[in-house]
Amino acid sequence: MKKIKAYILGLFLILGLTTGCDEGFDEINTNETAATSLNPSYSMNDAIISASFPTSIFIYELAIVQQIITPNGSSLAGANFNQDNQARAGIWQGYYRNVLKSTVDVLDKTRDSERYFNLYQMARIWRAYAGMLLTDTFGDVPFSEAGLAYLEGNTVPVYDRQEDIYNEILRELDEAATALDASKPQVPEVLYGGDVAQWKSFAYSLMLRAAMRLTKVDPALAQQYVTKAVNGGLIQSNAGNAVIRHTTLYTNPSGAWLNGSEANNYFLTKNFVDYLQGNNDPRLASFAVRYVGANSGSDQKPALGTTDPSVQIGMPVGYDNSTIEPIWKAAGLASFYEYSQLDRTRMGAQTAPVFFLTYGQTQLLLAEAVFRGWAAGDAAALFASGIRAHMEELAAYGADTAVPEEAIAAYLQAHPLEAGRELEQINTQYWIATFMNGPESFANFRRSGFPDIAPNPYPGSEIDGDFIRRLTYPDAEDAVNSANVNAAVARQGPDKLDTRVWWDVAQ
Amino acid sequence: MKKNLQNLKKLPYRVSLIMLFFMGSCLPLIAQVLASTSVQPDAPEIRLLEKTIRGTVNDADGGGPLPGVNVLAKNTTVGTVTDIDGNYSLTVADNVTTLVFSSVGYQTQEIAIGNRTTVNVPMKADVQALSEVVVTALGIKKETKKLGYATAKVEPEQIAVNRTTNFMNSLQGKVAGVNISSLGTGAAGTSKIRIRGQSSFGGQNTPLFVVNGVPINNSNFGIASDNTNRTGANSDGGDGLTSINPDDIESMTVLKGAAAAALYGSRAKDGVIMITTKTGGTSKGIGVEWNTNFTVDTPLDYTDYQYQYGQGENGVRPTSPSPTSGVWSFGEKFEPGMTQVLFDSVVVPYAPVRDRIKKFYRNGNTWTNTLSLSSGGEKGGFNLSLSNLDSRSIVPNSNYNRKTINLGFNQSLSPKFNVSGSVNYSIEDNENPPIVVGQDISTPVVIYSMSNSMPLDVLEANKYNENGDEFIWSRFRNRTNPYYALSEHFENIKRNRIFGNVNLRYNLTDWLYVQGRVGQDYYSRDQEYNLPTGLAFLPDAPSGFVNGRYVQENRKFNEVNADFLIGANREFGDFGVDLTFGGNRMYRRTDRNSVQVENFIVRDLYTVRNGVIKDPIYNLAEREINSLYGAAELSYKGFLYLNATARNDWFSTLSPANRSILYPSLTGSFVFSQAFAALPNWISFGKIRAGYAEVGSDLDIDPYSDVLFYGVNSNLFPLPNGNLQPVGSISNSTVPNDDLRPMTVQEFETGFDIRLFDNRVGIDFAYYNKLTTDQILEAQITDASGYTRSLINVGESRNTGIELLVNLVPVRTTNFNWDLTFNYAHNNTEVLKLGLNPGDTIITVGSGIRGELITQIVGKPIGQIFGYGFKYDDQGRQIFSENNGRPLRTDTQRAFGTAIPTDIGGIINSFSYKDLSLSFLVDFKLGHKMASGTNFNLVRHGLHKRTLVGREDGYVVGDGVNENGEVNTVQTPIQTYYETAGASNIVEDYLYNAGFWSLRQVTLGYDFTRVLPEDFFIKGARLSLVANNVAVLKKWVDNIHPEQLPSASDNTVGLEQTSLPVTRSVGFNLKVRF
Repeated sequence: MKKIKAYILGLFLILGLTTGCDEGFDEINTNETAATSLNPSYSMNDAIISASFPTSIFIYELAIVQQIITPNGSSLAGANFNQDNQARAGIWQGYYRNVLKSTVDVLDKTRDSERYFNLYQMARIWRAYAGMLLTDTFGDVPFSEAGLAYLEGNTVPVYDRQEDIYNEILRELDEAATALDASKPQVPEVLYGGDVAQWKSFAYSLMLRAAMRLTKVDPALAQQYVTKAVNGGLIQSNAGNAVIRHTTLYTNPSGAWLNGSEANNYFLTKNFVDYLQGNNDPRLASFAVRYVGANSGSDQKPALGTTDPSVQIGMPVGYDNSTIEPIWKAAGLASFYEYSQLDRTRMGAQTAPVFFLTYGQTQLLLAEAVFRGWAAGDAAALFASGIRAHMEELAAYGADTAVPEEAIAAYLQAHPLEAGRELEQINTQYWIATFMNGPESFANFRRSGFPDIAPNPYPGSEIDGDFIRRLTYPDAEDAVNSANVNAAVARQGPDKLDTRVWWDVAQ
Repeated sequence: MKKNLQNLKKLPYRVSLIMLFFMGSCLPLIAQVLASTSVQPDAPEIRLLEKTIRGTVNDADGGGPLPGVNVLAKNTTVGTVTDIDGNYSLTVADNVTTLVFSSVGYQTQEIAIGNRTTVNVPMKADVQALSEVVVTALGIKKETKKLGYATAKVEPEQIAVNRTTNFMNSLQGKVAGVNISSLGTGAAGTSKIRIRGQSSFGGQNTPLFVVNGVPINNSNFGIASDNTNRTGANSDGGDGLTSINPDDIESMTVLKGAAAAALYGSRAKDGVIMITTKTGGTSKGIGVEWNTNFTVDTPLDYTDYQYQYGQGENGVRPTSPSPTSGVWSFGEKFEPGMTQVLFDSVVVPYAPVRDRIKKFYRNGNTWTNTLSLSSGGEKGGFNLSLSNLDSRSIVPNSNYNRKTINLGFNQSLSPKFNVSGSVNYSIEDNENPPIVVGQDISTPVVIYSMSNSMPLDVLEANKYNENGDEFIWSRFRNRTNPYYALSEHFENIKRNRIFGNVNLRYNLTDWLYVQGRVGQDYYSRDQEYNLPTGLAFLPDAPSGFVNGRYVQENRKFNEVNADFLIGANREFGDFGVDLTFGGNRMYRRTDRNSVQVENFIVRDLYTVRNGVIKDPIYNLAEREINSLYGAAELSYKGFLYLNATARNDWFSTLSPANRSILYPSLTGSFVFSQAFAALPNWISFGKIRAGYAEVGSDLDIDPYSDVLFYGVNSNLFPLPNGNLQPVGSISNSTVPNDDLRPMTVQEFETGFDIRLFDNRVGIDFAYYNKLTTDQILEAQITDASGYTRSLINVGESRNTGIELLVNLVPVRTTNFNWDLTFNYAHNNTEVLKLGLNPGDTIITVGSGIRGELITQIVGKPIGQIFGYGFKYDDQGRQIFSENNGRPLRTDTQRAFGTAIPTDIGGIINSFSYKDLSLSFLVDFKLGHKMASGTNFNLVRHGLHKRTLVGREDGYVVGDGVNENGEVNTVQTPIQTYYETAGASNIVEDYLYNAGFWSLRQVTLGYDFTRVLPEDFFIKGARLSLVANNVAVLKKWVDNIHPEQLPSASDNTVGLEQTSLPVTRSVGFNLKVRF
């Protein structure tokens, strides 16, 4: 007995002196099923693919510029009723949680790297793209400190002034585009396959877009960067478009929305259809479908669908699903489900590409710059080239969406740039050329004042002015970053749909 | 080792010699040593001459034979218990001279054997010493009078007679300070249990469950937790407690505070629920017992909708074949003869449809059968039980089955060597656990909020269109036709689980023992579910395929606890010393294999292989906690007790610098009724107690939360040239933190336990003050940071409260007794500190679907419902928009009060007349708020009675002023007006007092034992009529039962979203002994 006791006691002593109680813990606390590093070009791919516009563009942007609208309320209420629907923060969440998060990570992993020298510049350009979209949408937003919760421990990023953001964007684009170097390693990524030359022209075209955004607030700076962008080299063809080609595995969020829960709820507006129809625009046949005689949403059967532009009827803006009843009855329709829609089997398909920035848009912006005397060239030729580029671009949605060459030629013939209407014509074409790019269409509408559309007459508007001029911050910001959001509101004006952003000077 | 010592030096009061001496020992080896020494008992010492002693134990006051009395040969471990007739028989070594008789409620007696072979003993009731024994931490049994902290003992009848499928739910309102909530997620759903409130901000606040001394897993697969991270799985997959059959439970003790739980250290910061299962019978030979319990479960309908205006929008009823809203009741006033058009062409009367809850849901039932075999002998015994539970849910396609086998045994291999153990095997089959909250395929959301003139038979008859897909009945396609959902959606969860432990104890001498124990909890959990092909909200599949989704998930869980214990107990004159030293190694591994597929090749074949887009996930998580602990108890003359403990934990989840933490406790108890002989007679018993303890916890830290990880998408993406390239990104949405420390709870408690007037009045009172520091904050952060949550170590909060248990016996006669028990707890919480900067005064821990938040705010109670309110001017007049007359919201969000009840309790009245007994329980929870998602929907859908205002006129003019202070005169269309709260996220519109008083249980029982003929094959029988959730006596929330909440998470506490109606169960329990 005593022996056993002594034995145990002795063993304790030995054990106590020789081993620790946390032996093997480092190994246990090592995750064997997840990667701790990744080729940064794969993260870059994520940053690019996640930039596809979220479905919140249907609640706001597409309805503000009166291209696509729904008469239904509740969760779909937004710009269709000039209401602030707080449940929608799509761009904010999508761009900060994914696009900027991955981009900032790529920057961190590629900075000072020789192998990823060019990828680093591309990430700088992409960050500028994302930041511009965010600030155009909301005004002052976190940018200089965005996406740094892990890298720098910053969980309460300041809201930068939009002016500062633009200065940074222009500077970054300039530096990154200049730095891109074809003699250094090129790593593939999904936007341009790593092609340095294409990124360069994308950067300068984005610079042109940013510069032109400042026409109202700072024409001198705008002109300076227009010059820089033109000298740097803009996109020269549709091959240079910044586009995400969605697949059946990576679907277009808008396509999934229009083919899923909201298949029967969105319609092309009367303004949009009338404008295209009135100008014999062949693009209407590419955009639209009308289910003639459809009694209901489920009655929108393929057999009823027609893409004939002459029979398309747009839904007038300013009605809800009750008040629109006399309107469709008066028009002799079977129900409001008979109004024209974005064709969800073509441009609204789940595999439809998403264009971030195109040759057509760039040509139109350049046409305006030339008209303003900020660049050399022939505004009329650029105008025509921009329209043609957009019409040709539609072939990317599939052969049944392509615009025939004869139709393009005929349209260009009939619609030359007219003296005295240049800004109106160019920017109205820009409106069409940014169809389905809600954020850009909305921004250029605010900047240029075109297209010349009537305010949404829906009664009980929440805005005092004619049009929504920015989107409001997500409610959560008031709780999670209150000091900074309050500072932004104090600077910029009330957090309302009415408040103008810095570059959107009232004229 | 060095680091550990340095840490200790910083904390001068945390010194325990024994602890230091053994610190750093490696436990598995110790366990091995113990095992090797234990299996070699000293052979010569057991083979002595033996003698057998028999006898009968009676109640000295004439209460008849006493079963279950412990009979022990003094200074040995040889013992037995008396059988049903009070008889015992014990074979002891010849040198044994004294037998010790002990039983709860009686004075322990030592009787010299002399030359006798028959020893009959009368037992005297022990009101004076109150030697009630409870199971304390590590499974050590102690007399309650020694304890310097509050415990609560639960009698098995309290969970076995009037039972619930998740057995913990039947304890609602019965234990002071224990807040139990059953949820509206189905019978096999999670039981939410909080002891002394919530200590951690929105983290892990569930008590530790310990079965026979070894912790078991209570992972929650509830809504908004870890059910699966896939979308479309809004069912409550239950928790770890459903595997337990209440018939197997012999006793339960609730260790409420840190002092009671200190020996469990990190895992017990929220208290411990100690369960002891049966390990032996009281009868010689084989005792057979059969228990059957059957209840009918009826859905309770609290809806009180408006039935004057029917389906429609903007004052118009559906008259054309377009899909209607299906949910809006802003239509026309019902008039006889009116019709409406639904489902394209079906014309039905435009008339109110009442009682939809009763029409859609069925009466469920639950039937449990348990057969147990047991035997108790001189050297040990066993208990084996087989049980089957069948629960048919109120949701027509939902069923739950549980089969358990439980074996407990206890055997003396020699006078010094005892082996005991238990094993519980359960097979749980959860078929279609009800989908709740959200929208997609959630039947309660649609049933509660669809329009009031939607005939259910028409809905059922038109669930399919001509292609067999869901007929689009509402333009809100996410509102799935509930009949279609029942027919086409499936979910199956099967869990096979085995947990148990083996315990070897060797008495080295009569005052020193060593014990080794190994326990394991293992389960595999297979889950599968679909989103059916043809579901209206799913996008079409590419040409040639059909849409739909299928998820198959397999989890394996394994936790091994190995521990050892050395105990010494000696008396020196008036002083007694009781020392315990031990260690534990906990290792836990979780594997999860999950594959989701979307779109199918062959329709209606839900398999992974048939899926087109595949997304597999595999996770493996491991964690380990090693611990050493010791306790020292000093006693003086049996009335003064002092107990000190220390425990050191090492956590694998933390960085080496923060891995080790030591926490002490000190408790004391003074039995003044025993110390002062001069006390008046009417004081039967009196004790005061006090204790202080610290415990730490890494529960809020998942393994690997210190590192940033990348996830690679399972599918490649084409480059412009068509070549495919991988896509990947950071997978953390919570910012990783490699410098987390365990959080610490410091708790002081004091109280008294007093019995008066021959035990007819008993009062047990406790006060506690619990400070939680270094809280691990999982706070919502701005999206602009790139992440949605951060995890840091800074929060501080305090819980203070009292617990009161009053037992009264107003009437005690030979035939008639009236017992009254009142338990009450008041708990105050206060957030003291948040964040790193003085300006950090608020964090968001969770959010509902409509922007309502749960926040923690410095200076306020934990769990604030937070959001926008209505806007009022300085004179208190409500402000409406001058543009459209809609109510305006406050400029910034504000707190509306805590969602955690401040006052909970229950009153149990029990009456017994001869063999007939009747008891009923009234319980209450008060002092908290809820944001009712159901009422939010009901208002914006025009079902709530509140929305009748203005219908006659067709508009509402809000009573108040506009922004300029002028009286509001704007006429706002009805529907626009009532949708305001939804569009503007005005939480105040659907904020309610969440309190209630309920008649929880009624039990009427009759014991047939005395009327059974002698020598009948049935030895005893008891029949009880039971009713649970009988009635709500008082509530404040409209249209729903105040407990109809979906989530057990503290991050969404008080954020109600529509879940299943609460059910009332009525049935019987029959227990028969053979």
